[in-house]
Amino acid sequence: MFNGFLKKIFGREGSGNQAKQRLQFALIYDKLEISDDILNLLQQDIVDVISRYFEIDKKSLQLDIRKTEGRSALVVNTPILSAKRQKPIVREDPKLNRANEKKGKHSGSHR
Amino acid sequence: MAGNTLTQSRCSLEGKVIVITSGKGGVGKTTTTASIGAALALEGKQVAVVDMDIGLRNLDVVMGLENRIVFNVIDAIKGKCKIRQAAIKDRRIENLYLFPASQSDNKDVVKPDEMVRFCKMLRKEFDYILLDCPAGIERGFENSIAPADEAVVVCTPDISSIRDADRVIGLLYAKSITPKLILNRIVPDMVARGDMLSHQDVVDILSIELIGLVRMDDQVVVATNTGLPLVLQKDSTAGEAFRRIAQRLNGQKDIPIQIPQSTKSIWKTIGQKLGLGK
Ligand SMILES: Nc1ncnc2c1ncn2[C@@H]1O[C@H](COP(=O)(O)OP(=O)(O)OP(=O)(O)O)[C@@H](O)[C@H]1O
Ligand SMILES: [Mg+2]
Repeated sequence: MFNGFLKKIFGREGSGNQAKQRLQFALIYDKLEISDDILNLLQQDIVDVISRYFEIDKKSLQLDIRKTEGRSALVVNTPILSAKRQKPIVREDPKLNRANEKKGKHSGSHR
Repeated sequence: MAGNTLTQSRCSLEGKVIVITSGKGGVGKTTTTASIGAALALEGKQVAVVDMDIGLRNLDVVMGLENRIVFNVIDAIKGKCKIRQAAIKDRRIENLYLFPASQSDNKDVVKPDEMVRFCKMLRKEFDYILLDCPAGIERGFENSIAPADEAVVVCTPDISSIRDADRVIGLLYAKSITPKLILNRIVPDMVARGDMLSHQDVVDILSIELIGLVRMDDQVVVATNTGLPLVLQKDSTAGEAFRRIAQRLNGQKDIPIQIPQSTKSIWKTIGQKLGLGK
């Protein structure tokens, strides 16, 4: 009871606090919006990567951003036709491999 | 007029272009532009204020110069008149010039690169060129930020204004402009009661540099009604705040930001919170 009294005088229970919380959420949510152009580029890259390991039907791959309250998820859905027997080509090329590592060191870590 | 005498007195220094923007409409961009423009001129600077709200001009009435428009900024940009012909000299405040918007055109008549070229010419004549940006993030906004060296984002302590400010700040950063924030229309009693976002809350959310706090002030409406400069009103807290913002913009970084205080006594506030009295 005394607690409630103190809160009434000093507490930050007003609608201002609610506004702040709602705003912080809204701004995060706003920034999760991704343009179709970027999604298309991402889809292309994902298809390329998956194709190194699996035989997939490139056209039926689906890429979605699913929003639920509080979080967003990137959902990739693709039927696998078959796994590739041989090791992925990219890995076997030592030159390429080294180039990738270098890249990782300089720019990759900072995203 | 913005003529030879100006060029002589300014030597070779280039003026600075500052855009006043907000995203959301009606938060105080025009009030801010008129007040800071006047205050900078009172500091002895050569100042041009440009109404970029093409088709919906208002800076002229706020400054009380609406009866003196012959040419407008579009005429000047399109070469239909000389630049100095479109500049209206304020008779109350020395060194203050207004470029009014055109009322008949549409925002699409100007392109961003035309604005860049126009401002390049203004830089030779003026120390400060303030651009009163229209609401929104379309062409009028693009035209206004294209020539800008600096930006002032005006927002009020309400959710929609802050959200729009955040969006505009993002767009400014994308243009390599680091904006500064003015929080306008503060009602200290509501902040004290917890029913209005405090300036700390807003700075937390937007995380940009604060350059001034302006309280809700009846004198703003009075100044607009009469067309007299708010910064000349002696008893205006908003006018005082704008004068200090202008000084800060003008490089006097040591001038502290005054936090608008509630005028009510602490006992009255406590009484109110307990539901006593009014
Ligand atoms: N500090 C303040 N105290 C009281 N009234 C204010 C204050 N600031 C602005 N106003 C009032 O709010 C209204 C909108 O202000 P103003 O025209 O400057 O906004 P704006 O951002 O330029 O609007 P628009 O987006 O339409 O161009 C005006 O009636 C103005 O008098
Ligand atoms: Mg305006």
